Amino acid sequence: MKAITANRLIDGDVVFWKSGQWVERFGDAQLFDENEASDVEAAVATGKGQPTVVVDVYPIDLIESEGRWAPVSYRERIRALGPTNELTHGKQAEGGDVVEALRHASGAARSTGRVDLIRRK
Amino acid sequence: MYQYDIIDKEFLVDRSNEFRGQVARRLAGEITEDQFKPLRLMNGLYLQLHAYMLRIAVPYGSLNPTQVRRLAEIARDYDKGYGHFTTRQNIQFNWIKLKDAPDILDKLAEVDLHAIQTSGNCIRNTTSDPYAGATAEEIDDPRVWSEVIRQWSTLHPEFSFLPRKFKIAITASAKDRTAAKVHDIGLLLRQGRDGSHGFEVIVGGGQGRTPYVGPTIKQFLPTDRLLSYLEAVLRVYNRHGRRDNIYKARIKILVAALGAEEFARQVEEEWSKIDAARADLPAAELARIRASFAKTPFETLPARSEAFELAKANDSAFARFVRNNVRAHKQPGYAIVEISLKAQEQTPGDATAEQLEVAADLAERFGFNDLRVTHAQNLVLPHVKLDDLPTVFAALQAAGLATPNIDLISDIIACPGLDYCALANARAIPIAQDIARQFADLDRAENVGELKIKISGCINACGHHHVAHIGVLGVDKKGEEFYQLSLGGSGAEDASIGKILGPALPADKVATAVDQLVGAYLSVRTDGERFLDTYRRVGLEPFKEAVYAQAD
Amino acid sequence: MPKLIELADGQARWAEDAFVHVTDEDAIPESGDVILSLARFEAEGDALLSSNSRRVGVRIESDQEVEVLAYDLPRIAVVALAFPKYRDGRAYTSARLLRERFGYQGQVRAVGDVLQEQAGFMVRCGFDAFEAADGATPEAWSKAASRFRHVYQRAADDRVVAFEERAS
Repeated sequence: MKAITANRLIDGDVVFWKSGQWVERFGDAQLFDENEASDVEAAVATGKGQPTVVVDVYPIDLIESEGRWAPVSYRERIRALGPTNELTHGKQAEGGDVVEALRHASGAARSTGRVDLIRRK
Repeated sequence: MYQYDIIDKEFLVDRSNEFRGQVARRLAGEITEDQFKPLRLMNGLYLQLHAYMLRIAVPYGSLNPTQVRRLAEIARDYDKGYGHFTTRQNIQFNWIKLKDAPDILDKLAEVDLHAIQTSGNCIRNTTSDPYAGATAEEIDDPRVWSEVIRQWSTLHPEFSFLPRKFKIAITASAKDRTAAKVHDIGLLLRQGRDGSHGFEVIVGGGQGRTPYVGPTIKQFLPTDRLLSYLEAVLRVYNRHGRRDNIYKARIKILVAALGAEEFARQVEEEWSKIDAARADLPAAELARIRASFAKTPFETLPARSEAFELAKANDSAFARFVRNNVRAHKQPGYAIVEISLKAQEQTPGDATAEQLEVAADLAERFGFNDLRVTHAQNLVLPHVKLDDLPTVFAALQAAGLATPNIDLISDIIACPGLDYCALANARAIPIAQDIARQFADLDRAENVGELKIKISGCINACGHHHVAHIGVLGVDKKGEEFYQLSLGGSGAEDASIGKILGPALPADKVATAVDQLVGAYLSVRTDGERFLDTYRRVGLEPFKEAVYAQAD
Repeated sequence: MPKLIELADGQARWAEDAFVHVTDEDAIPESGDVILSLARFEAEGDALLSSNSRRVGVRIESDQEVEVLAYDLPRIAVVALAFPKYRDGRAYTSARLLRERFGYQGQVRAVGDVLQEQAGFMVRCGFDAFEAADGATPEAWSKAASRFRHVYQRAADDRVVAFEERAS
């Protein structure tokens, strides 16, 4: 499973692709399964064509956690949640099931989408 | 302190207006992100994990109360109520919006602050001794030269697109509180045999992937030739530094590739062709800058303060604070006071808006309007009367700014790490907190003595782990956070690069390992030996055994 | 003729570009002003210049040193300094050396990834002609180059430096 993330240009906020929009909460993000690889590509391409809206668009790999999907890499979980040294800062402050699922997820590898982004840079 | 004149002030306004225009062009799609990125970096604006980070310059670590109060305001109005001090004496805000950045730069300019060249492939903030003007040790006030370099390097048209970033540090005391020897250029002010002043010029120090203690390229550069010589060094670098690989683009790589001797020769050759009359600073301008750092109006006081002695005798907390955080001042009856930003369970180097205001008030009431930032992410009140120290201490205590741990094991340098930084591989802050918690007992910490732990979340080494007594480097091992320890580094006048201790450890084993290292040190140290001294005497093996010999 | 942004008397304006960039593979036109690569200039420059009927310019890549032109500079009409990427800052050094060390009076032209956001730096380093890659007009170029009322260091231009302002 994958999702697509970026940073919003105007404020640097972490955002996720959802049906042509950019949403702020990982819980609202559109999820893509293995059969939707071309949809992922198309969405990323669309995002890259919006340079005045978002920067650094790339897909992230997901893993199951507490019945929900969460980013496999802890870097992406920190992006989705906020800094671990201050739990009242960032999106994690809202609390709720999604935040809890993200907190409890664990997983290894970096997202390949992120690795590709760095390589291309 | 240097006072901005109309020229300096207009410069900041023009810069702020320029950036406002550039942001507008970017938002309108008239320039690409690739074209915009160096422009925003040269105004200190990074895109980080959660938001933009703004790095504001604190030239040679010097701030006045007006500036500190404005920083507190910006923390409140545009960020989440705090700021973070860095290993280059600057301050960073983690939660900035691009659309607010032009307004923020305007507000900074009003109090003679800016974010010029705090990032980008250009000459960065020139750092210096936080005790400048207060320590008896110094040959001359290094702030004078820092300000000279600050102006000369600001929007230098030839050197704004270097192969990579360029960092200069200046020290004028035997004790180096600037890590000058691991800078691109380290300037060590010396007195010649004839009493004249000159710089020992070190070029090609650095950390990151390939750490070096920089070689001396010029033994004695007369101070009045400073700018022409810097021009020669920068020109050789601009022309010959590598541009094919960002990991091999710093000047240290060029110096190592050519060899110090050949590099020095190329610089001398270029220097000989530079017209000194055009390139070096006119004496009148030097005198003008020097005059603004003129004598602080100290009172004539006895060396001994009864109020101070009494407070020490009656208040053991105050006594401990004095033992660790207070340093001798050149003027009788005064002291240098370090303000620790390394309280238990706090983020190292962070200060809240409220704490900034307390520091501003204290500088104003008791400190000649003078506040400094150290490269260890702490603050300094350089001129406090011993008589006033008990009052200052009480105010610091009330604000959570009186942790008596300067240079002790819990005075840890830590970069923001993976909690904030887009470059990081691992988190640094929780590791620092784990270690500090392990040594929360102040008696124990004092018994251990001077022990400089520095933590970097990635190989870029912003936490200076290469020059730490115990260095900690966060690495990504198959997606898990692991930490590589190194021993025996030093950023001081006895500069050295640390040696790797052994295989990287998982996050939850780091504090224990530090405990084991301290145990090994305590068991073999001789009288007066710091951790670093014991390591240099007995080598890596006993420490390696202490951490890795146990079956885990 | 293609247009060029030229600086004259501190003003940027459109100018007709009489020069043709000739690649190493192309034949040199029978007549007209040309800009050649350094290699080509070293091979054929003398012959072209001795004909006296045209002006010759030389293109210096960012990894080439302008010192090699020192002897020929009085006869060279244009030195085109290349920016392969706008953030390759070597041409700034080349321009300053041409003006300040060698006293070059001809045209110093910026070619390649030349963007108006760097106009100020280029003008200060002694460039006086620009093949802008971002569609900049002379007005935009002038504006970009005049953002700062003060400068802190001497360069190839004749701007009064801050410490000179202070002394006056």
